[in-house]
Amino acid sequence: MRIGTAENLRRDLTILLCLVVIYLGFAWLVPNSYFQLILTLVPIWAAFGVSWNILSGYGGQLSFGHASFFGIGGYSMTLALVYWNLTPWLGIPLGVIMGAVAAVIIGTPTFRLRGHYFALSMLAYPLAILYFMQYFGFQEVSLPMHREAPAAYLEFSDPRYYTLVAVGLLAVSVIVCILVENSRFGLALLALRQNELAAEAAGIDTKAWKMRALIVSGMIAAGAGGLYACVQLVVTPDSVFGLLVSAQPVVMTLFGGVASLWGPLIGAAFLIPLSKLLDAYAGDYLRGIQGVVYGAAVIAIILAAPDGLFWTFRDRFFKPKASAPLPAPEPIAKGAIAPAASGVPLMNVEKLSKSFGGLRAVSDVSFSIAEGEILGIIGPNGAGKTTLFNVLNGVLAADAGSATLGGATMLGKKVHQVCHMGVGRTFQVVRSFPRLPLIDNVIIGAYGAGLSDHDAAAEAIRALHRTGLADQAGVPAGQLTNKQLRLMELARALAGRPRLLLLDETLAGLGREECDDVLNVLDRLRQEGMTIGIIEHTMHAMMRIADRFVVLDHGAVLATGRPRDVVEDRSVIEAYLGKKWLAKQDA
Amino acid sequence: MPIIDGIGRRGALSLAGAAALAGKAHAQNPTEVKIAMLVPLSGPWARSGLLEQMGARMAIDDVNAAGGIQALGGAKLRLMEFDAGDSAEKAKDAAQRMISQEPDLAGGFGCWHSGFTLAATEVTERAELPWLTLSYSDLITGRGFKFVFQSSPTAISQAEELLPIIVDLATRASGTRPTKVAVVGSNNPAVTSFLKPIREHVLKDLNLTLVADEIFTAPLADATSIVQKLRSGKPDFVLVQSDNVGDDKLLLEKFAEFGLSAKKMPLVGGGGHWCVPELIKLTAPENLEGLIVGLADWPGKAAADIDKRFVKRTGEPWFGHDSIFAYAHVMILKEAIERGKSADRRKVAEILRTIDITSGPATLFPDGRLAYDEKGRRKGAKICIVQYRNGKPVPVYPDSIATGEAFWPKTS
Repeated sequence: MRIGTAENLRRDLTILLCLVVIYLGFAWLVPNSYFQLILTLVPIWAAFGVSWNILSGYGGQLSFGHASFFGIGGYSMTLALVYWNLTPWLGIPLGVIMGAVAAVIIGTPTFRLRGHYFALSMLAYPLAILYFMQYFGFQEVSLPMHREAPAAYLEFSDPRYYTLVAVGLLAVSVIVCILVENSRFGLALLALRQNELAAEAAGIDTKAWKMRALIVSGMIAAGAGGLYACVQLVVTPDSVFGLLVSAQPVVMTLFGGVASLWGPLIGAAFLIPLSKLLDAYAGDYLRGIQGVVYGAAVIAIILAAPDGLFWTFRDRFFKPKASAPLPAPEPIAKGAIAPAASGVPLMNVEKLSKSFGGLRAVSDVSFSIAEGEILGIIGPNGAGKTTLFNVLNGVLAADAGSATLGGATMLGKKVHQVCHMGVGRTFQVVRSFPRLPLIDNVIIGAYGAGLSDHDAAAEAIRALHRTGLADQAGVPAGQLTNKQLRLMELARALAGRPRLLLLDETLAGLGREECDDVLNVLDRLRQEGMTIGIIEHTMHAMMRIADRFVVLDHGAVLATGRPRDVVEDRSVIEAYLGKKWLAKQDA
Repeated sequence: MPIIDGIGRRGALSLAGAAALAGKAHAQNPTEVKIAMLVPLSGPWARSGLLEQMGARMAIDDVNAAGGIQALGGAKLRLMEFDAGDSAEKAKDAAQRMISQEPDLAGGFGCWHSGFTLAATEVTERAELPWLTLSYSDLITGRGFKFVFQSSPTAISQAEELLPIIVDLATRASGTRPTKVAVVGSNNPAVTSFLKPIREHVLKDLNLTLVADEIFTAPLADATSIVQKLRSGKPDFVLVQSDNVGDDKLLLEKFAEFGLSAKKMPLVGGGGHWCVPELIKLTAPENLEGLIVGLADWPGKAAADIDKRFVKRTGEPWFGHDSIFAYAHVMILKEAIERGKSADRRKVAEILRTIDITSGPATLFPDGRLAYDEKGRRKGAKICIVQYRNGKPVPVYPDSIATGEAFWPKTS
């Protein structure tokens, strides 16, 4: 568990316990078996929603095909019961295991895709499985009745017991979700939802976390599907693999609140009874009208509360609490900080090249950064500066050349592996996690570097102090100014205890005074012995901060040297301002 | 509280006793007896459900006009209608709702579609509600249920019965014995049950070769590739086992487009939907001419009066498979209540298990007998065959209901 989440944990578990008690108390008073069926279905669908929320809400990996797992859970349980006479008490756990296996099989090829492509490919799986099921003759499988020992086969004549089991399943799912939310797992998911590249650069192995999220999610979904089949007594491919099944958790979670613990529960508690009661009552007056009313109700509520009911209510009625003041940073452990400037090269780049088709974006670039040095990388737009950084930290593969950090090669590694070598990176466009408090935005960097919970918290606090953001620790990132966001990114990179910082246009879009504040921070970092490579356009800032310049033009190194010498270099002036200007100066 | 004080404890007790007595009297002689109908009233199968509804409502009116249920002091019979919708889970949900909303049902019938019936009877069986059905699938009465009664010949027995009759008919009418057959069908449980024995042994028994075997999931979007494959197999006749009117129309028109209308290529359909009146409105009558349909019941001479009144009452062109079943099921439930002198569902079920008659509702079946075996299947249930002639289905088999002679289209 993350440091400082004990309070959240206590609060969420208390709310969960209260909800369970109230719900079961209410359910026990309902004798009508149809209403009881609704009360059973609400927690089952809510658990399915929770499962979807873990992958798609927290992790941002939109899945339109979660019915795969739901159906696999349902069919595993049913077929095990029909063919092996295996009680659903074991059949459902078996389905959960099958759900995990399916997650690995589905995730391995599908996580190669991103965004809409991922979402749509996920949609294909349940539809494909649906036809397989029909082909194998499982159009409709009914659960055999066990009159001799009904309870042993999860068959109850009193429907309230189904509700009890369903609530149990939901409680387990919610507890899993609470654990995820309050651990580095949850933070990693939130990070990769906002920006996969930034998360990778912060050292998070996004592929591994995505797979873990899919497995957890698939297991919960399969559990829900297994119990659903038990309650329905019959499974058909359409009822567990159908399009509407895949849509159900999406609609419920969007309705209730994405990436919130309670969102899917709120969605299920509203929508399931609404649709079932409409089926029961509206459908008697005008056949088929229930679908129309249901659709209209969903549209109306989504229009009124576009973020989902949970977030809309929270934003309207609950002001975020003022956060406790940040503790003073712990004394720095020995060896945690880089040695003072020694002039020994930390990073060496030799004849590095990268082409995009015919365009040589980076061509035979060689330079080095010494320990404790700030190296300014300048050049006109399109000179290949950002491409150079992207090659160095593993976003792009180099075509030729070498790059080493303290003797170890940096090329051919994944982004998060480069980060683990001790390279921190910021981006031209700031990527923050707007709903998370500043401290959580920063701590992601520390987790990315593989620090323990305790060290990560300490390192994040220290990074906030170093960047002068200690007072804003509890403020959601969405409320920070541009300058604070820039510093936040810097702090996130620092929290991973980097040996080298690669800063991409950290000063972009800042006013002169704001610029000076950031420069002061960089100055302090240099005094602490940090090694920095910085891309920047603002010449006056670069002149002030950089020890040395590397000038790039058309992908090649044009000049290197002390700032004063470089700006007087004729070829540099020509590259920036053109031949005509130079001729005029000469005249 | 002077009034209650005045009555006193003894008074209150006697009041309660009186109320209990009144309740008992009520139970002995209810003023109305409720039976349920759960059929698709919305979705692609709604038309068949509506035809059942018409038959059932007419039966209810007939019972009540004749003085209700005599054994219960002329109690009126009341039909509670429920929509099974368009999927097995909706049917099952509706069954659950039916059970909880109407705790005093004496029995019920439905849900037309085998898949829906399978799902809904999981609920009715647990509620011990006697349930009559026209659905064909063998699975329905293959689960060891005690409260489900299947009035149709099951799909397997239909399959085993139908093909020999067809082969015999073809041989008699055309002089040559057919050797090649093509099959097209949906994958619903009734059709699956129907085709299983055909593939397993019926074809072999009859020396028929299966030249094309096309299975699809209903509803069908396009039938072109299916019909192309069927045609390239050059069959002597085609078994068309679709499961709803829309697909029937699509297939018929595609057959006609490829020059395989029932006049040139003998087509043998299966199921009540092939004889719903609007098929004739949906597609050109010549596409239907000569089409042979095997189904579970069709009105014969014994039902001539009901037929006439039904056509007059509803404006439908004929009284067919779906409507006669619903009519019969209401009458069977009524008969069981009369014989058991009770509207208690368990009593009704007990009577249904032991009843064996050849009069009353039994005459609504071609074999003229009403008795269910230990699985709940009607003993001696026979397949009926009708053939479209001049835009109307004419019963041609068995002789008890036949009003015309079958003809076999000449294959060119």
